[in-house]
Amino acid sequence: MAGLNDDAQWIVLMGFIVSFSLFFIAILLNQSTVVGQTTAEAVSEFPKNDIRGVRDVIIQSAYLDDKDQFRNQTWVQNDIRNLSLDRHDAVVDFSSQSPSWNDPYTYVEIHYNNGVTAYNETWRSE
Amino acid sequence: MVNADGQLYTIEGIAAALILLLSAFIVVNSTSVYTMGDTHISDMQLEVTGSDALNMMNTAPNSSVDKTPLQTMIETDDAAAFQTMFNNLVNNKTGADPDRIQFKANVTYQREDGSVGSIVLGKSSHPLVGGEHAVRVSDWVIVEKLPDCSDTYCTGKHAVLLEALLWRD
Repeated sequence: MAGLNDDAQWIVLMGFIVSFSLFFIAILLNQSTVVGQTTAEAVSEFPKNDIRGVRDVIIQSAYLDDKDQFRNQTWVQNDIRNLSLDRHDAVVDFSSQSPSWNDPYTYVEIHYNNGVTAYNETWRSE
Repeated sequence: MVNADGQLYTIEGIAAALILLLSAFIVVNSTSVYTMGDTHISDMQLEVTGSDALNMMNTAPNSSVDKTPLQTMIETDDAAAFQTMFNNLVNNKTGADPDRIQFKANVTYQREDGSVGSIVLGKSSHPLVGGEHAVRVSDWVIVEKLPDCSDTYCTGKHAVLLEALLWRD
């Protein structure tokens, strides 16, 4: 060791180990905030209220009647598709299946995509 | 000739200095990230308040009433009733003085030719001038009459989108 007294090599080694562990802990601390930030951003970007709203109105529209003069269901479902695209910048598509003799449930298939978040669901009546 | 006795001490000193500097840099650098999250928190709270208020207005008061207050207000274009009810819902809080949340609400609907129209349903006393930091909440309402016409298409059921901008004064 460069002409020095090398009696205390253990102390030097321990010094390095302690400094490197401090360094490592500092990196952990640094990364943890980044993880917190990305999670928080993902939460605030997720269009929870938009999806809930459109899901709710789609399910309501599956039960509307569609008589010749008032084509209520066609109109409402058209409105949902076009207004979603126009105001929420989201492509929304859906279809429903009414109960039949061997299957007493109504099924509604919902697709939502706003370019960042895609949400798909098959809803079944209780 | 320089005395080379202290070389190891020099190297150790430099290594220790580098480690200290790097650790200090990383720690100081990471604390600045905390402020990023803070700016979104008040936005999210305002958004929850607003969308809860719209949900409450879009719920019929009891099972014998089949129209929700919001449905009636949009069908009759009743800005005054909307303003009063929405203002009470978002601004009431515990204690005597109300909160200072301002809003502007629009109803967007589709005409028969496919074009999209929009009317202002209600707004609070302070106008939106552009400097505010507003959040948007929206709710779908199925109405039985569109606001600005009276032919067969308009008197059928339609889905309209109610959007409200909320900000704190």
